[in-house]
Amino acid sequence: MKRLRKRLALFLKYGTLASTLGLITATLIQIYARFYMENAPSWTEEAARFFFIYAMAFGAGLAMKDNYYVQFDVLFNRFTKKTRLWINRIVLLLTLFLFLLLALYGFHFVIQGLPEHSPSLGVPMSIAFSSMVVMGLSVSYFAGLQLLKTFKKPNN
Amino acid sequence: MIWALLLVFVICLLLRVPIAFALGLSCLGYLFWKGIPLIVVPMKMYSGIDVFVLLSIPGFILAGNLMNHGGLTAKIIAFCNHLMGHIRGGLALANIGASMLFAGISGTAVSDTASIGSVMIPAMKKEGYGTGFSCAITAASSTVGPIIPPSVPMIIAATLSGLSVGRLFLAGAIPGFLLGFGLMGITYYISVKRKYPKHPKSSLGQIARGFLDTFWSLLMTFIILFGIIGGVFTPTEASIVAVIYALIIGMFVYRKLSFKNILVIVLDSMKTSASLMVLVGFANLFGWILITEQLPQLISTEIMAFSHNKYVVLLLINVLLIFVGTFMETIAALLVLFPILLKVALAVEVDPIHFAVIALLNLIIGLTTPPLGICLFVSSSIGKVSIGTVSREGAPFLAVSLIVLILVTLFPQLSLYLPGIFMD
Repeated sequence: MKRLRKRLALFLKYGTLASTLGLITATLIQIYARFYMENAPSWTEEAARFFFIYAMAFGAGLAMKDNYYVQFDVLFNRFTKKTRLWINRIVLLLTLFLFLLLALYGFHFVIQGLPEHSPSLGVPMSIAFSSMVVMGLSVSYFAGLQLLKTFKKPNN
Repeated sequence: MIWALLLVFVICLLLRVPIAFALGLSCLGYLFWKGIPLIVVPMKMYSGIDVFVLLSIPGFILAGNLMNHGGLTAKIIAFCNHLMGHIRGGLALANIGASMLFAGISGTAVSDTASIGSVMIPAMKKEGYGTGFSCAITAASSTVGPIIPPSVPMIIAATLSGLSVGRLFLAGAIPGFLLGFGLMGITYYISVKRKYPKHPKSSLGQIARGFLDTFWSLLMTFIILFGIIGGVFTPTEASIVAVIYALIIGMFVYRKLSFKNILVIVLDSMKTSASLMVLVGFANLFGWILITEQLPQLISTEIMAFSHNKYVVLLLINVLLIFVGTFMETIAALLVLFPILLKVALAVEVDPIHFAVIALLNLIIGLTTPPLGICLFVSSSIGKVSIGTVSREGAPFLAVSLIVLILVTLFPQLSLYLPGIFMD
């Protein structure tokens, strides 16, 4: 389990870094082409968008792992420790449910995108749509882990 | 049904569900109830994120983080202190000046409170300023950031309304400086009254050295702004140019960036951006439901039934937005409310650019409005003082912010003058 968690975190980390590098490179080619080439390629904007969506999909899981999502905790802090623990569990369960549904219906979305192709790059849109499955699975995985942790180490 | 959706959203917020997920869960409840196929969840999320202008957000966040890693916050504060330290309450004035300069780099109020506050609040306390006052001025001054360009919330507003990012950036400049100088005025008045300390005057050499230390980072703001306004770059291209520029400056001028550092900063920036984009995605779904339920028309009809007077309508919108801004993060509130209220504003012939500035100003004022303003919480936790003390000390600053809001609402030229000059 520990090894799987490490490998998934590494996969998301390198996925985020590679997609970011792709986004930067595609945008730089776009700038270069506009200034120095007679016919600027049309694929750069599309490629940058695809890389961006993947960077965000990979990053969403890491953001869940490291608690980057903004919360409103004024009322929460007034509850007792035990109540806070149970609220935390319910919230994580709901998060798990929400993102599992995103992954599941994201898969339907991917299938729907199989016949479609992007206008400039000509790649199947299902590749871009798969980012929603990645986002759903990665966030739900880390939500699930955090939920398990609340049972294993309730004092943390 | 729409009220049940909003109720679930509020309950989720109170139970500390992250704002993005609260939007998603309330939408999910609505879709289940109405029997709408759940495939709309990934579809709307994807279409919400797949917008070219949004690509600039991770770029700006990354460029800001790369610059900040070179100790930029301390350098900006030192420069402002050289400039204003000899005036009574100089360090407090430097706090506001630093926020105005830092604005172009951080782009969000809460990060500004945290980064400037962590340096300034202990320094002000050490010099004999009241802790409550130090926290209050840090929170108040950080609200200048999202108004002065470049600003992440402005990019979001442009995405939601189809307005030009360049025009919105320019529109925020005068109101932002007005707010900054207004805060400086009241700070000086309080400092003289309480006899807060002043430093010996800095020499021209010290000021020049301070300027050189911050010059490269301030130049980045100008490259971004004039690149977009001059039509040289799109906002997305400008953000990537800013990243490359920040990398070069960080590695070869400030010499603080190593390969390992860069990887950590990139990952941190992408996690921040991804948490924003999940919010954008769910907000797109939420917005779609609100439109399906004709809530914008409902609110518009109700407000117009109350009054057709442009200023009464704007007053109502101001009150609503400040209230929402007190407990909701700026970008989340903007995503949910801006498209709805823009329709109302357009119905009473308010210019959309002018309205975007008003809306943003309201939401950031909410960040320092007691009892729930998020910036008050951040600064009070840094200064280890009660939120009540910070709120009391912050009252004069809040009053100045409200006066600026009233001026910006009543005089559209404050927002429209610069876009008119540079972009018409």
